[in-house]
Amino acid sequence: MSIVALLESQALDPQLELAELTEAARGDGAIVTFVGLARPESKDGNAVDALVLDFHPTLTRQSLEEIAVACGERFDVSHVRVVHRCGTVPAGEPIVFAGAASIHRRAAFAAADYLMDRLKTEAVFWKREVGDAGSTWIEPTEADLADRDRWG
Amino acid sequence: MKVRLYGRLADAIGPEIELPDVSGCSVADLRERLAASHSAAAGALERSRALIGGSFVSDERKLADADLVEFLPPVSGG
Repeated sequence: MSIVALLESQALDPQLELAELTEAARGDGAIVTFVGLARPESKDGNAVDALVLDFHPTLTRQSLEEIAVACGERFDVSHVRVVHRCGTVPAGEPIVFAGAASIHRRAAFAAADYLMDRLKTEAVFWKREVGDAGSTWIEPTEADLADRDRWG
Repeated sequence: MKVRLYGRLADAIGPEIELPDVSGCSVADLRERLAASHSAAAGALERSRALIGGSFVSDERKLADADLVEFLPPVSGG
């Protein structure tokens, strides 16, 4: 079992992250990954130039680690890899990579789903959209919280 | 004493400020003092958790001048 949880202040390269996970997953039968992109439009339809993720010097990375470790304990997976951007992420660029590897596919699918539901609500970030409407702070939506609560 | 702030609190108050004469005050007193001087941040301050030396503390915790207090508003998630 390997658990990787990284906070990335520069560009995040999903291909590179997949290559790392694939290398770790030799002997497994499945890899499931999710890549989240900074959306170019807000919920209200305003153009967004970038997402800015404020973070805590220690608690943010700890929160990524805690979620990744909990995922590894909960599902029958061999490897978990979470890489999350912080700082300014231009619209269209990757903001998060969440991946899991397992012997059979179901566990990896469930693990990736779980990772994202928890990251979307519990990762220690303070996020704002910057664009046509100025700067707007974002908090998890009711749908995000309901998704997280599916896992008990 | 140093106070470090994040997210919308950093926006409204600044990422780090220095406050004199806080010895003997509680975290709740500090919260009130900051809300009084930065009314735009009052709501977010009320919903924030306080951290001293890397540990979350209650509003009753007494402060010393050497403390670094951090206020963390509710997180946005990733």
